[in-house]
Amino acid sequence: MTHTQDKSSAMQQGLLIFIYLAVLTALEFFIAIFISNAPLLVVVAIVKAGLVLYYYMHIYRLNQEDQNEEKESPVYKTGTNRLGLWLFLLSDSFVFGGLMVARINLLGLTRPDLNQILGLGVTAVLLLSSFFMNRGETAMSHDDRKGFLTNTALTLALALVFLLGVVAVEWPTALRDGLTPDSSATGAVFFMMTGMHAFHVLTGVLFLIIILRNGARGKYTEEKHWAVEAATTYWHFIDVVWIFFYPALYLIGKLA
Amino acid sequence: MRNVKPVWRGLLLLVVGALIGYGIGLGLDFAVQRVISFQSPVAGLFSLLIGATLFFFGLIGYRGVTRGLTFQVLGTLIGAGLITAIRAIMGLDLFGAFLFTEPAWVVGGLVGTISFMAGIGALTDWWKWALGEETSEHHEEHQDWERYFGVSLDHKVIGIQYTVVALLLISIGGTFALIFRTELAQSQLQFLTTNFKLFDQNGLQAYNTLMSLHGIIMIVSILLGIAGMMNYAVPLLLGAADMAFPRLNAFSFWIAVPAAVLILSSLFLGGFDTGWTGYPPLSARAPLGMQFYFMGMFVAGWSSILGALNLIATVLRMRAKDMTAFRMPIFAWSAVATSIIALTATQLIGLSFQLVMFQRLLGMGFFDPDKGGNPILFQHLFWFYSHPAVYVFILPGLGIISELLPVFVRKPLFGYRWVAMSSIAIALVGFMVWAHHMFTSGMNEYLRVPFMYSTLLVAVPTGVKFFSWVATLWKGKITTPTPMLFVLGGIVVFLLGGLTGPPNATVSTDLQLHDTYFIVGHFHDTIFGGFVFPFFAALYYWFPKATGRRMNEFWGKVHFWLMTPSFFALTLGMMRVGLLGMRRRIADYDTALGFDSTHMLMTVMGFLIALSVLIFLINFFHSMNHGEKAEGNLWNSRSPEWQVPSPMPAHNYDQPFEVVGEPYDYGLVNSPYVKFSTDR
Repeated sequence: MTHTQDKSSAMQQGLLIFIYLAVLTALEFFIAIFISNAPLLVVVAIVKAGLVLYYYMHIYRLNQEDQNEEKESPVYKTGTNRLGLWLFLLSDSFVFGGLMVARINLLGLTRPDLNQILGLGVTAVLLLSSFFMNRGETAMSHDDRKGFLTNTALTLALALVFLLGVVAVEWPTALRDGLTPDSSATGAVFFMMTGMHAFHVLTGVLFLIIILRNGARGKYTEEKHWAVEAATTYWHFIDVVWIFFYPALYLIGKLA
Repeated sequence: MRNVKPVWRGLLLLVVGALIGYGIGLGLDFAVQRVISFQSPVAGLFSLLIGATLFFFGLIGYRGVTRGLTFQVLGTLIGAGLITAIRAIMGLDLFGAFLFTEPAWVVGGLVGTISFMAGIGALTDWWKWALGEETSEHHEEHQDWERYFGVSLDHKVIGIQYTVVALLLISIGGTFALIFRTELAQSQLQFLTTNFKLFDQNGLQAYNTLMSLHGIIMIVSILLGIAGMMNYAVPLLLGAADMAFPRLNAFSFWIAVPAAVLILSSLFLGGFDTGWTGYPPLSARAPLGMQFYFMGMFVAGWSSILGALNLIATVLRMRAKDMTAFRMPIFAWSAVATSIIALTATQLIGLSFQLVMFQRLLGMGFFDPDKGGNPILFQHLFWFYSHPAVYVFILPGLGIISELLPVFVRKPLFGYRWVAMSSIAIALVGFMVWAHHMFTSGMNEYLRVPFMYSTLLVAVPTGVKFFSWVATLWKGKITTPTPMLFVLGGIVVFLLGGLTGPPNATVSTDLQLHDTYFIVGHFHDTIFGGFVFPFFAALYYWFPKATGRRMNEFWGKVHFWLMTPSFFALTLGMMRVGLLGMRRRIADYDTALGFDSTHMLMTVMGFLIALSVLIFLINFFHSMNHGEKAEGNLWNSRSPEWQVPSPMPAHNYDQPFEVVGEPYDYGLVNSPYVKFSTDR
């Protein structure tokens, strides 16, 4: 793997992007509370997603300059794998896009009455996990196995916190407040969107466990760690989905 | 048993298995319901499952697909049993009319699907990767016929697997059509009456189930058919050793098998009466078969999505040296166009079906107006895939027409770049036309006119293709072996389908035509012209490449000349009765409408088409071992795969080739398309 940046500047960039994302998240929270401007929230979400796509998911790597490589070479194969993964993410984003269409069609400019602190909390946890995931991948691509393991383990821990936060805290809270899957279209949309996202988080967790285990057994090197890159990209994709789902469920519109 | 031919052993065990399964089903039903009913749906289902499993056991023993089906049956029972156990703890009803309750069956169906994939071994390599083990790049493979019944990573084997399963499903779906077509031959109900009973469905329910299953089984068979053509031909045309992701390729094929099992299961478990569209609110309260239809289609969707992903990656990354975008074979262009739709839009039909499944299972009110839901939303999500899906069906076929036409006309393809771009244009415009299915649905009226114009716009790139075909034919040295007959037939039939499209796209006329038999005639024309005829052309054309033998030319021509006129009579009849007021999807019509004789004609023609396909199937399977040898460049084609001997070697080209000219410069001297390197 060739890299244009040295490790510390790559890490610094990751931190900087995390700070931007955190500030923007705080910003959208306050926009929602004080001026409740839906188009502005959409713009903020798009900016956040763009930052993650470019700086954390490295979408520019798709523009691969490996056309002169042997087709059987590992570099060329990794390029093909990368294309395959992004095609999968494109496909998967249509599921979430469809859910978003359903939410807009059924709920319009209303939103369910949810616990705002909890929502902001799990969002922060997921964002933080993306930050550590980025550090993990950066470490691996600079041959720092220990840094990779530490950061990936932290990502995994935060992923589990997010998953439990949604399924074991947020869902029971909503149920107690009368928002059940079968009570109304609002409840149905809420549980379907968070459920579909949580299912993807679960698969991401499995992926993280695999790379953590294989990383601990020394299966990855600076040059050869496609599985790490794949898991990382997938994990950030889950974050991007939540970047849109969080405002769609918690912030946009009036209380139903 | 040892010296009996495997296929007879299989058929014997099929009967034995069907009886055992029937017995097990009766026993289970008796254990739960305390009555013996010979119409037991569960008995029918087990009869199918265990019969099929034992058939393959007789054929190849306990491996490959036999293991997969065994795992699927056990997985289904385990999944259903688990949910039943949980229900027992929660104090809910344990059993329903179809043995298990609906949630138990749904979880069972999904667990069964995954079990099938594990059982057949499609997940083995990925499991090893997850454990950090290496797997060999090329599996050692048996070169005998038995490899077709297990996981193979060779794209040619997978292409043939897809094709044969597609032909099997076409036969099943066609048989269903013949059954209800027979009922329609006369007004009034003749045999599918309320007294008729089949697995607890009366005649009218059976009509609805067969009609719905005809639609969906044909759709799945088309998806498998195009995947077969693309899998077999595209890597050969590109000069690649295989697809980009061989394991994913095997996965994509094999997951279609449990999908087919799930869809066929719905025949027994109450059926469903919505037609293949599955609109709520009817689908929200249809029998259990509805869930199996939804699940089967969902799983088949993954086959389509992952196959499309693989194909796009293959075309983008695996081309021979110097094969630039506009020197690709035209079929590769149409395959990419199809895959763009299949990769993305398929998720939306999967989602729409999931939402109905959850509405049924958990009472989530997405489409229930009482809970603030909206049935129209389903139609938007559903048609966002299901209209572009027809372009998924026809684009590869239109690509086949453009690919084969120059070979048999001995002239360059007219306007190559325009034809290439027209496929992409059809795919992209196809994303913006879905609501033309909903002009009468009660959606917002201001949406009608934009969708009318976007739909009419599709005629432009399609017209480009027709213009190219006609100009290619112009003053060509036309020969008409069987593949060319089907190419020409496809063009004419698709023209009829195309010309009957605009009346349906135009709001004012569609308000009259919607849900009539005119629509049925229209789409049978487009699908036969865009898929069935080119599919047969491709089979006759590439059969020698796959087997080293050719199919019988005489019977091929009989197939064509029997099928084509019958088909015209059938669809023109459909359009006639449609214009006279025949509704689609219903079992009966009023004698006073006065088109009994047309219906009788259509039924006869339906049977003639079936006869022609039967002739084809016999020719196909007989020629595999007994056809005339054809190992050279039978069609005198410029395409790379015909420059090497047939059947194709296991790893495709022994020497790589580079592209040195235009693909379709037929009739020009000293203008080769590819040059094989001499070293290595």
